[in-house]
Amino acid sequence: MGKRVLKALVLCLIALFFSGCWDYTELESLGFVFGAGVDQVEPDFVIYLEIIDSDGGGQETQFTPKVLSTKGRSFSSAARALSDTAGTSVFWPHVSVFLVSEEVAKQGVLPAIEYVLRSRLTRSTIYILVTRECTVEEVFKSKPFLANSVSDHLDGIIALQPILAKFYRVQIWEFVSHLTDSGIAVAAPTVQLVHESGELVPIIEGTAVFKDDRMVGWLDAEESQLFCLLQGMFQRPHIVMDTKIKEGVYPITYEMIGSNAEIKPTIKDNKPAMDISVELRFNVTEVGNAQINFQSEEEVGSIEEQLAHTFNRRIKDLLEKLQDEYNSDILGFGRLLKRKEPKVWRRYEDIWDSYYPQLAVNIEVKAFIEITGLYSRPVVVRD
Amino acid sequence: MFFWKHTKKDEKKSKGLYRLSSSLEINVYWFRSDILGHDDTIVYRNFKSKGPKDRDCVLIYASNMVKHEFLSDYIVKPLMDCVIPKYLGGEDLATYLMERVLHSDGVNLCDDYGRLAEKILSGSGVVLIDGCDMGIVIHAPGYETRPVEEPPSENVVRGPRQGFAEDLGVNISLVRRRIINPKFKTKFVTVGVQTQTKVAICYLDGVASQTLVDEVQSRIEQIEIDGVLDSGYIQEFIQDSPYSPLPTIGQTERPDIVSARLLEGRVAVLVDGSPFALTMPFLLVEAFQANEDYYNHWITATFHRIIRYVSFFITTSTPAIYLALVTYHPQLIPTNLVTSIAAARQNVPFPAIVEVVAMGLVFEILREGGVRLPRPVGQAISIVGAIVLGDAAVGASLVSAPMIIVVGITGVAGFVVSILYDVAVLFRLWFVLMAAVLGLYGYILALMAVILLLASMESFGVPYLSTMTTFDPQDIKDSMVRVPWWRMALRPRYLASSDRERLQSKTRSKR
Repeated sequence: MGKRVLKALVLCLIALFFSGCWDYTELESLGFVFGAGVDQVEPDFVIYLEIIDSDGGGQETQFTPKVLSTKGRSFSSAARALSDTAGTSVFWPHVSVFLVSEEVAKQGVLPAIEYVLRSRLTRSTIYILVTRECTVEEVFKSKPFLANSVSDHLDGIIALQPILAKFYRVQIWEFVSHLTDSGIAVAAPTVQLVHESGELVPIIEGTAVFKDDRMVGWLDAEESQLFCLLQGMFQRPHIVMDTKIKEGVYPITYEMIGSNAEIKPTIKDNKPAMDISVELRFNVTEVGNAQINFQSEEEVGSIEEQLAHTFNRRIKDLLEKLQDEYNSDILGFGRLLKRKEPKVWRRYEDIWDSYYPQLAVNIEVKAFIEITGLYSRPVVVRD
Repeated sequence: MFFWKHTKKDEKKSKGLYRLSSSLEINVYWFRSDILGHDDTIVYRNFKSKGPKDRDCVLIYASNMVKHEFLSDYIVKPLMDCVIPKYLGGEDLATYLMERVLHSDGVNLCDDYGRLAEKILSGSGVVLIDGCDMGIVIHAPGYETRPVEEPPSENVVRGPRQGFAEDLGVNISLVRRRIINPKFKTKFVTVGVQTQTKVAICYLDGVASQTLVDEVQSRIEQIEIDGVLDSGYIQEFIQDSPYSPLPTIGQTERPDIVSARLLEGRVAVLVDGSPFALTMPFLLVEAFQANEDYYNHWITATFHRIIRYVSFFITTSTPAIYLALVTYHPQLIPTNLVTSIAAARQNVPFPAIVEVVAMGLVFEILREGGVRLPRPVGQAISIVGAIVLGDAAVGASLVSAPMIIVVGITGVAGFVVSILYDVAVLFRLWFVLMAAVLGLYGYILALMAVILLLASMESFGVPYLSTMTTFDPQDIKDSMVRVPWWRMALRPRYLASSDRERLQSKTRSKR
């Protein structure tokens, strides 16, 4: 342990302490962005950020969201300019939702989200949303009832997807991976504003359907649910179906407690086709005044048949819309074909766009009623 | 005074005369003027024996060091009542008195001036008789000692409540009463040129390895110091890794802990005047063990051990991790938390690093202030600390509220593993500095440095991290977990004694 070792040690420490703190920041100098959005891409980017302004240290703290917007030739230049208006350094990693306006989606979504993907400051787990019949600004300036900020509100709704089952949720990394993959088109949930007790409240309902990076149309809540079902997402929606019981027709509510959807590419007459087989399991949640005897195999079988039939028809309608109206392969039929039958796919790869609408799809749905709530028999009113 | 190095001159002076002479007058003169001179606490009690040929006797003792009544009733009185045959002299006289007159169990003969003086000073009475060149040493220590009571530093809810006192003899007896076995051996070594402190090395013969016992003895014998006032002196002299802040020798005030460690094959060192026994070798796992672990249900004990490990992690790392997250990695804090921390820090004038170090310092000041104060004043300190400093500092925006929480949990968790408290403070500071410079990366680097240090240490030949770095089922039985007693069939392997069986084979086969 000579003086040389000591000197070396001191030099090491100096190197450490003088070079170390290069990305040292103090929390209070950061403006935390919760949500971001792009309202316009051409000729200039117009971006909106929801920043949290926290007031008062110590025991009682108030959080007020502030919406800032700027213009710029590119997303990043606009984002930098925002630091100027905000007066703090804008901190991106806590962004949870990214909104794209309808116009931008129609023109092509890629330029709007490219920065979000490339930047090291934003997370790839951000949820992407498309505004429907409103602008990003209107959404951010609306007043959610309970949540602190619009972004929190939207994030909360997204977390409820399995029970709401009204939209298809997608994080930006998956969105982009679908965008760059052949044989699958992208879809994103849509934000709408509804009037509620005199306030405009943002809700998430329905799904925006894209072709390449351009939006071509919408799916409503029910169609979105079926789309998620076919994508194999876990969800427990309540389904109200007018069910024929003996002679009467009653609105009965069923809760989907499990589903299994399988899409299999097949070759028929040397042409690719799709086999969709769906298995649904239900819990009967509300019967109303319908007198159903759940002990009777016949009656339950009839209900199961009606459910299967309904779902079969709904899926058929959805596929018709996707194939004929939008010509958008958001279910990824092409990708499945590519995986299972690569040789066939090679022949169809270039003409997939024109072949997709005429793709034959065979749908088979099975439904089972497994639980009938806490009661196994109907509630009968007697004198 | 004790730290002055002794000189040869002092030694010579105390040996003006080596052997007693047969003249009482000369003997007393030498005691009075040389070896015990200028010491008014030494009492010379002159008396005469009975009979026509009475003899002059002197009882010499240090006042308040002996049992006065005992000496007067059983030594002075029989001597005064007895007729000493005139033909007796020298050693025969002393033996005669010892065998027929003196009513005491601890009687010795000695003719060495130095030894006699030593005996007087350590609480014995010495009887000198005219015409006898032997002193009779009567062992009758009667000085005040603290009674055996529950040690304040190591309380238990369940378990024996005896703790060591300052007297070496009492302390050894406390251990011996727990291990009634001829294998329990005690070796005395005297350390301290001026203080002549007795140090006892205790072990179980055949259970502790002989090399370990010899090593401990040779290390203690090599100590050359003028005085030993506490076992801490011995500890610093004989421990391994003396520059490391971590203890490599265990310390305890409890005889049950000492006995348990002896039974494991460790060696204990007791020092006269100190209620703290040393046990060695000492491993890091022992810092996380408590005697109650072995008295309570093994599941509870395991749970408490895990709590101790977690607390040690909390007390060393929380400020560093908080600092690193807040200043370098705000993206790793949950969104709601990060905004509220930011809000709390809004009006705080200092950077986070200053806050962390300053609050840590304040906590240590409060603790140090409270430790050595009488209890009522100590309470005042804690009130000042908790209410005035904590609450007012937040109110005045001098520190942020999350920081107070961090300091609070750090401080409280630190007391859980009390043996490592000071070590934890050092580690904490080191982690905080590195985290302030390099963020979580720096924290990990600092942690690695600490682990390297721990891995490089050993205690009396046993690696310091033994049983912590292994998944061997035999070794981990008493480490992070505490398995039931009937599962601990063998003594720890690292102590490597020949007799490793803890449970007799009958019990073992049943389980």
